[in-house]
Amino acid sequence: MSEEILNIVDEIVKQKGTTVNQAIPILQAIQETFNYLPEEALKRVCETTEISASRIYGISTFYTQFRHKPVGKHIIKVCVGTACHVKGSMQVYDAIRRNLNLNDHEDTDPEGLYTVQKVACLGCCTIAPVVQIDDITYGHLTPEKVDDTLVDFQDSRNNKSISIVSEITKFEKSQGEIRIGLGSCCVASGSQAVKEELESVLHENKINATVKQVGCVGICNQVPLLEIQKPETETTYYTKIQQKEVKDIVLSHFQPLSPIQRLKTKLNYFVENLVYDGIPKIINKYPAEKHDTPISEFLEGQINIATENRGVLKPTDIEEYKSLYGLESLRKCLNQLSSDQIIEEIKKSGLRGRGGAGFYVGKKWQLAKDAISDEKYVICNGDEGDPGAFMDRMLLESYPYRIIEGMIIAGYAIGAKKGIFYIRAEYQLAVKRVNEAIQICQEKGLLGENIMNSGFSFDLSIFEGAGAFICGEETALIASVEGKRGMPSIRPPYPVQQGLWNKPTLVNNTETFSTIPWIIRNGSKAFSSIGSDQSKGTKVFALAGKVRRGGLIEIPMGITIRKIVEEIGGGIARGKEFKAVQIGGPSGGCIPASMADTPIDFESLTEIGAMMGSGGLVVLDETDCMVDIARYFLSFTQDQSCGKCTFCRIGTRRMLEILNKICKGQGKEEDLVQLEKLAYNIKKGSICGLAKTAPNPVLSTLKYFRNEYEEHINGKCSTGKCKELIQYNITEDCIGCTKCAQQCPSGAIEFKPYEVHKIDVEKCIKCDICRQVCPVEAVLTIQNVRSENG
Amino acid sequence: MINLKINNKEIQVEAGISILKAANTLGISIPTMCYQQDNYSNHPSCMICLVKNNKTSELIPSCAVKVQEGMEIVTNDEEVINARKDALELLLSDHVGDCEAPCRLACPAYMDIPEMNRLIAKGKFTESLIKVKEEIALPLILGYICSAPCENVCRRKQIDEPVSICLLKRFVASEDIAQKSTFFPDKLADSGKKIAIIGTGPAGLSAAFYSLESGHSVTLFDKNEKAGGTLRYAQLNKELPEEILDVEINIIKQYGAEFQFNIEITKEIFENELRKNYDAIIIASGESGVSNPESFVLDFHYQKKTGLQVERRTYATSEPGVFACGNVIRTQKMAIRSVAQGKVAALSANMYLRNEKIKHEPRMFNSKFGILKQEEFVEYLKETFSGKRLEPKKGNIYEFSHEEAINEAKRCMHCDCRAKDDCKLRDYAHDYNADRRKYWPEERKLIKKYNQHESVIYEPEKCIKCGLCIEITKANNEKLGLTHIGRGFDVEINIPFNETIKDALTKTADKCVKACPTGALVFKLEIEDKELE
Repeated sequence: MSEEILNIVDEIVKQKGTTVNQAIPILQAIQETFNYLPEEALKRVCETTEISASRIYGISTFYTQFRHKPVGKHIIKVCVGTACHVKGSMQVYDAIRRNLNLNDHEDTDPEGLYTVQKVACLGCCTIAPVVQIDDITYGHLTPEKVDDTLVDFQDSRNNKSISIVSEITKFEKSQGEIRIGLGSCCVASGSQAVKEELESVLHENKINATVKQVGCVGICNQVPLLEIQKPETETTYYTKIQQKEVKDIVLSHFQPLSPIQRLKTKLNYFVENLVYDGIPKIINKYPAEKHDTPISEFLEGQINIATENRGVLKPTDIEEYKSLYGLESLRKCLNQLSSDQIIEEIKKSGLRGRGGAGFYVGKKWQLAKDAISDEKYVICNGDEGDPGAFMDRMLLESYPYRIIEGMIIAGYAIGAKKGIFYIRAEYQLAVKRVNEAIQICQEKGLLGENIMNSGFSFDLSIFEGAGAFICGEETALIASVEGKRGMPSIRPPYPVQQGLWNKPTLVNNTETFSTIPWIIRNGSKAFSSIGSDQSKGTKVFALAGKVRRGGLIEIPMGITIRKIVEEIGGGIARGKEFKAVQIGGPSGGCIPASMADTPIDFESLTEIGAMMGSGGLVVLDETDCMVDIARYFLSFTQDQSCGKCTFCRIGTRRMLEILNKICKGQGKEEDLVQLEKLAYNIKKGSICGLAKTAPNPVLSTLKYFRNEYEEHINGKCSTGKCKELIQYNITEDCIGCTKCAQQCPSGAIEFKPYEVHKIDVEKCIKCDICRQVCPVEAVLTIQNVRSENG
Repeated sequence: MINLKINNKEIQVEAGISILKAANTLGISIPTMCYQQDNYSNHPSCMICLVKNNKTSELIPSCAVKVQEGMEIVTNDEEVINARKDALELLLSDHVGDCEAPCRLACPAYMDIPEMNRLIAKGKFTESLIKVKEEIALPLILGYICSAPCENVCRRKQIDEPVSICLLKRFVASEDIAQKSTFFPDKLADSGKKIAIIGTGPAGLSAAFYSLESGHSVTLFDKNEKAGGTLRYAQLNKELPEEILDVEINIIKQYGAEFQFNIEITKEIFENELRKNYDAIIIASGESGVSNPESFVLDFHYQKKTGLQVERRTYATSEPGVFACGNVIRTQKMAIRSVAQGKVAALSANMYLRNEKIKHEPRMFNSKFGILKQEEFVEYLKETFSGKRLEPKKGNIYEFSHEEAINEAKRCMHCDCRAKDDCKLRDYAHDYNADRRKYWPEERKLIKKYNQHESVIYEPEKCIKCGLCIEITKANNEKLGLTHIGRGFDVEINIPFNETIKDALTKTADKCVKACPTGALVFKLEIEDKELE
């Protein structure tokens, strides 16, 4: 065994090289092989490379991706991102732990089959709560579905389905095109199965329709989604379809080509369905032209710049990209524009960085260009760690060429020859697609020496982040690429002056790069005519939470929160009342519904105590506890603190302790003052953006929802979210269906058919299952008796 | 060259230097902890060096931010001071360690007990006695009668039995007396001033000792025919043999004190003789002195319940040059308290006589973590002599033998911090009047002590994560060195691959200890390991 480890490590080192900057890739490769990092392997790396023991131990304990202990055969990742949190992911997490019989300090079951982990955000917020087991993603999970989900996973491991590849589309005239979205949300909602079924139906019935896999459609709340396009007929969308419905849909639009086949199909179909009246029993069918459908409402008011050709482009098809204006901007830049002209154009467009802080992009490029150096770098920041945000993921998965084009233009403008995609390790599909796209570009001469015969050379590589939210901060990101712990450093010097390997480095967000080609092609005026005074153009948001239609949206700057929530999002789901939006994730704040007419732009949001952030927009309703939300974000940032500065390292922890106390009903009025004072110093006395903004969720909720804090101090949580302050109770409305008793994991409800059930408060673990399974809403949470008395 | 303002002073400095250095050239000092000059790159982390740039109203770490044209730096306004104080309070909330041991804090005389024990353990009995006499003028007497609140809080008590502190103190005192040359502290040059001390009980004798040390001449008055006050005449102190009392009173006498017996101080004597002939008076007449309606004490706002009114910290009465200590200001059972007050009254009288402002120096800041946890016993036992409390073979009224004393002293767990006199965190916490309790968590971290290194001991729970030691090991090419492990609140500075501190610091131990701003990395005590078996 030992000898084997050494050989494998030596092989990895041979591939990756022996320099310090290879530390993270080497560790990733070792973990890929062994599922964890065996100590022997790490020691071998120290022996055979320039990487010191101190460095390898320092980084392997910094990034959450790395494990020092063996794990179970399968890894269950429970997403605890914002959208999942508000939809009860912790209850799902607890249910999984119960299912696996895990003790307090364990995360692997005794048989070593499963290891359960919490992950910051899987970027599938619209189908929250989400759990990923190995490569399978399950959405809309609830505690009571956990058992079935694990069984389903086992089944899928036991009989792997074989995908059928459609072979008909290769010849004869296509009868039409069927588009299916294969973004991460879509796949998680079962679109892979739908696609396989689709291909099999087409194959069996000899229907010659083109199946096109497109990137994220954005309507993540309606997935899996099929779009059927036939010459001379209107485009039709089918939403939320299941595998078994595919056949009906396909056959209602397409007829098999040969008459015999038609008959055969009809007969078979008749036998299978007994009745065949030509109309599939699909409810969610929407013609594209109709205006009052969820699809059209969702798409209306959006402007697609970063997401241009959404739902049309096949992500890695370069020819198609070219046919839809792709590379036109690059050609224009290389052939007609000087770098000054490009930078001038970007400046005039008023484009501001889409990563959160909103620095003017043209200005940043200018600084990078003006920096004198033999070597410069362009980095695309795709380390989207913000829980509740998935814009970068979707852009990288769906429009890799557009981002590459933006990066080459940036390289040309500032005089850089090398570019790096920094992509979160969790975004495997994005890494795969970008990798493929880079390779194709290299083959086609779009990357490498002398691009398009312009004399300009530029090449790209991918660096996979290893799991640290702080690496979204540009100096920490650079430290990480250099093979260090992702600790931010003090600015100035700014990366544009002294960045990667001390060379001028331009770091821009993914979305920023993906708007560049559009601006060059359509001109700065076209861009700056969209948006508000100080915030030009559009912004991509991940709309999730309690809204009826979540998804990825691109809206012109300056529209109001209300418009997003009520029109695009279709209002609050389940008839609940709109309470607030959390905007900007852990750096942002909660804006109350009463301020929903605030326009979305950098200045307005900052002014009211929130922040544009990277674009997470989580809608909250009356059932959400704002103290709990504040605590949630603070627990995220304190967990993600790099641990360098005193205020962030210890201060955020102390703030969290105070919030925990308040959520338990043990807070005092003075605690609120202390929270505010501490928040002030954390904001002022820390050096990086993470810490400077970490108190925002607390400060904004203290500002707008102080009454809820006071309520908790008085021992009450009226939304019932804070477990310590509530009890579960069954009302007289109970019909005695026994569902709750059957599902209760702690035996707190006695099984009494046709009688009103009762909850034994002593045994109740407040897992919320009974409330969720009750068909008549007879299970309610009530204020804790103890705290009412107190 | 760069032009900027620091605290409204214009200054021109070369480009590329830090604000800290620029401020230093103006003679403005800014506190630093994580900053190390020369040779090492610095990564601001502690944030004690924060200053404000008025131009941007940002707070910035001055050790790392370089001067920029037009900056307007403020180093000492309220916002800056508050931020620094808050940083200290946060660090203290995560700093699990005691500056001084619980025994010393419990001792009314604030005697440095662990140091006494360490010196005994090394066989340095005289040095140990010198340490004791810094605070306690009558160690032999108290060795018999002290109620020893120190032993009550001794951490060793949680594990087995407290260290026999009181007897050890008696041991060093009687060892000293057994010597040919008894120890007398060097006196300051003769001040030419005279102090009258009324009363020769523990407070008076103690006040006499420290007044003599300060260079004044001292006369003690007592209404009885012998010195000792309650020590001799109260029922309370039956266990104190008279010859022992005489021996230690004799030492005070030898040191230069004059005694006048059988004199009852009346109002008249007080006013006409003492006030006129002496430069300062210390009243240590005990509670019995007031039964006489003629007593001078009644002029001093004396009330039966609250005693003679004094300034609580300096023991100055309302009359200039008159001080009071002992039972006359409040009745108490503990002789050690009177002894402690006697010293303070003497110091105050000295300040008065030297025309200094009479003030009480507040005790240094103390970090404390409270009760030792069961899991931590093993850590604390790492440097101690195992085994139960030793009793002198001949029974308690006799002294320890040398060997017994050394072995008993080795039972001390050295709860005080080895860096207590060289700790930036403590110094700044003191200067900024930091409140260690402000952010103290409900659940503290567990203490560990890494002692495998021959000369160094590492206590991670005291570490403030400045990372200087990591820098040093890296710059000096330690093969293993130290590293950050984990991140965020749980980040620890530790040794890669769970190796020992011995392998981590093969050539940089001295440098690391010197750089450590607190007591996380310290030199071991000089008691050799092998003796501790």
